[in-house]
Amino acid sequence: MKIFQTLGAIVVNGLERVGRAALFLYEVVSGSWVLLRRFYLVIQQVFAVGVLTLLIILVSGLFVGMVLGLQGYNTLVRFGAEDSLGLLVALSLVRELGPVVTALLFAGRAGSALTAEIGLMKATEQLAGMEMMAVNPVTRVIAPRFLAGVAAMPLLAAMFSAIGVMGGQVVGVGLLGVDSGAFWSQMQNGVDFHDDILNGVIKSVVFGIVVSWIAVFEGYDAVPTSEGVSRATNRTVVYSSLAVLGLDFIMTALMLGEV
Amino acid sequence: MSAPAAVPSRDNLVEIRDVSFKYGTRTILANLSATIARGKITAIMGGSGCGKTTLLNLIGGRIRPSQGQVIVDGINVPDLGKKDLFELRKRMALLFQTGALFTDLSVFENVAFPIREHTKLPEPLLRHVVLMKLNTVGLRGARDLMPSELSGGMARRVALARAIVMEPMMIMYDEPFTGLDPISKGVIAKQIRELNDALGITSIVVSHDVVETCLIADYAYLMGDGRIIGEGTPAEVQQSKSEYVRQFMDGLADGPVPYTYPARPYLDDLLGGGGP
Repeated sequence: MKIFQTLGAIVVNGLERVGRAALFLYEVVSGSWVLLRRFYLVIQQVFAVGVLTLLIILVSGLFVGMVLGLQGYNTLVRFGAEDSLGLLVALSLVRELGPVVTALLFAGRAGSALTAEIGLMKATEQLAGMEMMAVNPVTRVIAPRFLAGVAAMPLLAAMFSAIGVMGGQVVGVGLLGVDSGAFWSQMQNGVDFHDDILNGVIKSVVFGIVVSWIAVFEGYDAVPTSEGVSRATNRTVVYSSLAVLGLDFIMTALMLGEV
Repeated sequence: MSAPAAVPSRDNLVEIRDVSFKYGTRTILANLSATIARGKITAIMGGSGCGKTTLLNLIGGRIRPSQGQVIVDGINVPDLGKKDLFELRKRMALLFQTGALFTDLSVFENVAFPIREHTKLPEPLLRHVVLMKLNTVGLRGARDLMPSELSGGMARRVALARAIVMEPMMIMYDEPFTGLDPISKGVIAKQIRELNDALGITSIVVSHDVVETCLIADYAYLMGDGRIIGEGTPAEVQQSKSEYVRQFMDGLADGPVPYTYPARPYLDDLLGGGGP
């Protein structure tokens, strides 16, 4: 009996939290229009969540691209198709690895930082203080961070893919001797703007919204203690990663239309 | 906007009428009534966890009472929607125990924050106002420091400067003396008194620091167990014969407020075994 009770409580609590998160998102989005007049607040946050995440994105992108070059060449060369290496690297990055790996790194670097920052502001009564000064913290603190996350994610994913292609080229053309002309022209012919690039961008925008949403909500909803903030940070990374991977499957299925 | 029964008295800025507040099943405040006189310093003293801070939160509209009215300047606070509540809050300030300074902004920007949010004051004028307020608390020279570089007493004074920057009609101080050295305590007490007299601000000081609070207060309420257990001028309270009041004012470990948390008999507990 007790098991069912506990199970029921977990489900009810979970649903309640999802409901609160949805209302919170509505509040954030509907409070965002005020920021049109104070756009510098968003710009500051784009620096914090975007520019400061750039290094890890670029380094990871480079290595992912180089590994793709190695692995792709090894498989393709068996069929004598190593000229298609550029196409393989570019498609893998633009369609899948770019948005997904960027979102995972973004959740780990920027998402966790957002949650910790907002959670600590709550724990130290900064958010309550703001409310007592008749300033809505959702508009002043949360909305700029959310918008910055949404704006930064697609840009980071694009840079990840771009530098990944360079990494693939360094390994494929530079080390393994694939023909440079073939590498680029196959890529140019095979990558479709609508089917590949645009779908990748859509994915990265969706991931940006989801990861930023989870990060700011977890921070705002954190229990205002050291333990509460650390748990919230933890949850941001876990939930964001799961959400990104799950949504990736759904979106890929919809985009390919084959399931 | 205001409740029908809310006929404000000219002399009282805040009237708390028959207010109860429950947190879950626990009663924090029970049928409590109190008035805060305009332009005076009213102290609310009591032990930790007696509901003092809850009272401030009720006045500031951060929580709603289970029953009763909280009337601030003729307006019943629990009736207010978010917009009206924010309008009212522009006229009151709450000084948090921790100061609650924004850690990512400098001292100057912390004090400037409410002005930037609520007005379109030109930058040179804003600078003047902020420096004047910082000068009031003696920290004009500390304008470029970050909150992490301030001592506890300085942080609270910066928070005080931020609280008065919009020239509110009322300031609520939540434990302004806690965790400060004697000099800082004296400085804060002096500043509360001076601000009250110079700007005509109504002040509510919530504290368990009997000595400092009695020195500056015009009127004092003593709270225990969610109720008012004594009131009067500080001198009257100090002379009170009530057991509750005596226990608190003299700092006695045991009395009407028990020292021990309720538990089953000691011997049973030690010898009875069972769970922890």
